[in-house]
Amino acid sequence: MSDSPDSSGPGRFSAGTDATVAVSRLRVLLVDDNAERARAVADGLAAQGCVIVGTVPEPADLVRRVREGAVDVVVCDLDSPSRDALESMGALHRDEPRPVVMFVDRSDPDSIGAAMQAGVAAYVIEGLSPARVKSVVDVAVARFAAHQALKAELAAARTALSERKLIERAKGILMSSRSMSEAEAFAALRGLAMDRGRKLAEVADSVVALEAMLRHPAKPNR
Amino acid sequence: MVPSRDKQDPPARVVSPPAPAALSSPAIVSGQADLRLGFVPLSDAVPLLVAQALGLFAARGLRVCLAPAASWSALRDRLAFGAWDGAPVLAPMPIAAAAGLGGVRAALSVTATLGRNGNCLVLGGDLLAALDDSTAEFPLSATAFATALAARRSAGAPPPTLAVVFAWSSHNYLLRQWLAEGGVDPDRDVRLVVLPPPALPEALASGAIDGFCAGEPWGSRAVELRVGRIVLASLHIWPNHPEKMLAFNDAALADEARVVAATAAVIEAMGFLAEPSNAAHAAQIVQQMALPDVPREVVALAFAGRLVTEADRPAIDLPGVLRHAPAHSRPEIAHAHWFAARMRACGQLGEPVDLDAIWRDDLWLRAATRAGLSRPIAKHSSPDGAFQRSVAP
Repeated sequence: MSDSPDSSGPGRFSAGTDATVAVSRLRVLLVDDNAERARAVADGLAAQGCVIVGTVPEPADLVRRVREGAVDVVVCDLDSPSRDALESMGALHRDEPRPVVMFVDRSDPDSIGAAMQAGVAAYVIEGLSPARVKSVVDVAVARFAAHQALKAELAAARTALSERKLIERAKGILMSSRSMSEAEAFAALRGLAMDRGRKLAEVADSVVALEAMLRHPAKPNR
Repeated sequence: MVPSRDKQDPPARVVSPPAPAALSSPAIVSGQADLRLGFVPLSDAVPLLVAQALGLFAARGLRVCLAPAASWSALRDRLAFGAWDGAPVLAPMPIAAAAGLGGVRAALSVTATLGRNGNCLVLGGDLLAALDDSTAEFPLSATAFATALAARRSAGAPPPTLAVVFAWSSHNYLLRQWLAEGGVDPDRDVRLVVLPPPALPEALASGAIDGFCAGEPWGSRAVELRVGRIVLASLHIWPNHPEKMLAFNDAALADEARVVAATAAVIEAMGFLAEPSNAAHAAQIVQQMALPDVPREVVALAFAGRLVTEADRPAIDLPGVLRHAPAHSRPEIAHAHWFAARMRACGQLGEPVDLDAIWRDDLWLRAATRAGLSRPIAKHSSPDGAFQRSVAP
């Protein structure tokens, strides 16, 4: 997605808001090893009229890309190992562009909290007005947060799926070994869970584990 | 004498960032903790890890939660904005934070020197080949290195790229000092870059860099992977130089007793580490808690006071290559002045910084007393090496 054409002029968008005008044509480099998230951020920024100079996954080539891409803003993961290289550019070489980490407006604790929560670190090249960059960071924070929420949802869905499978298996075991009906098996599991103050899936897990153990008893040592 | 400039300067106006409510850190396992401490996975994070693993924090009634950081920048931000309470930091970092260098201004307080020495200079590829023609000495002298560089230059080779781990680090200042002693201009004759420690062996193998200065186990790891040779340890430049400091943010300092108790536990851990018979145990703790991808025998080398400088060679003895001891735990203000002077010399630090407000000898004293450090420790251990040469006017 590097060097995407700058076809999206500010005129296409909710024309007239200060943010849109200010952000247009800022040159942004994304540092992200998560391609999906990087695409989401890039789309969001392009829609604001930013020029996405490129996306780099790792620190190796980063310094050259910042220098040669005439980059204004770098957006990266708070926990990216690339950050130390980025921060040290101007500190080690006076002739290099000097990226300064920016947690939005320092007088605005909510913005700092939101950026850290979403895991975004943005760097503005020294000399550029931070006010111009604020909406770039806002977009990045929003996209990072959305990605985070989606991931959490997926994880929850996956857990739910595996829990459902466990319960089904435990029911099956009870049905065959105790000749219970499906409803009886489920009631038995739920009763056990309530008695012990445990989750249904945990009880199901115990039943499955116990059954496996009884079916394949460990061989005595000697 | 120690330059007194920083002392006379008025205290810097330190704007502490507002601590936003409910900061999250994905690395932190939730649960009730009194103190959240971060660390960058390196061998010299060991006092913290040992204090946790041996229950020394718990013995002082502290529930401590430890979390790894992927970079020094990320660790600093979490300290500065209150997601974490304290951490081992590179010695110059609290000075940089007080001056707002890199964009984040924060008041950090140093309560102990966590460790001495511990870094290695590793060279690889062409640069090593150029050296082998001239010398294979250990430690490599700066003049021999300068000779090899000159030969490379006259053969038309570009300046080699050497990596350090952060702009504000002992690695940067000690490497610069060593280069300058050999007549090498650190800004012209070599190109210094920054890469995170775990990325270094691979970067050296790929030819992206020609050498690096980093804390253990990354020097030993590069040798094990056959991508470089350790040509010197940081103790050869400044014997017993201060390396990592235990630092806390001002939110944590609101409860001084807790900070003192945590520091005391860490000093106790250093007592464990000062006992050579505990070296293998310490290496095991670090490898398991912080460096699962590095073989234990590679991690264990420096803990045993040994280094394998080159693949297929026997280990050499280098006592103190990684030193942690209560007797070396005092945060000495002279060291703070040394780092501030280096930062000024590199053009990194312009504004005055009140170093006495950062290096909290008073808190160390209380913690050391609690940790049962009975023998008084000289406030200024006699410096030598780079320290003396640089500090002298």
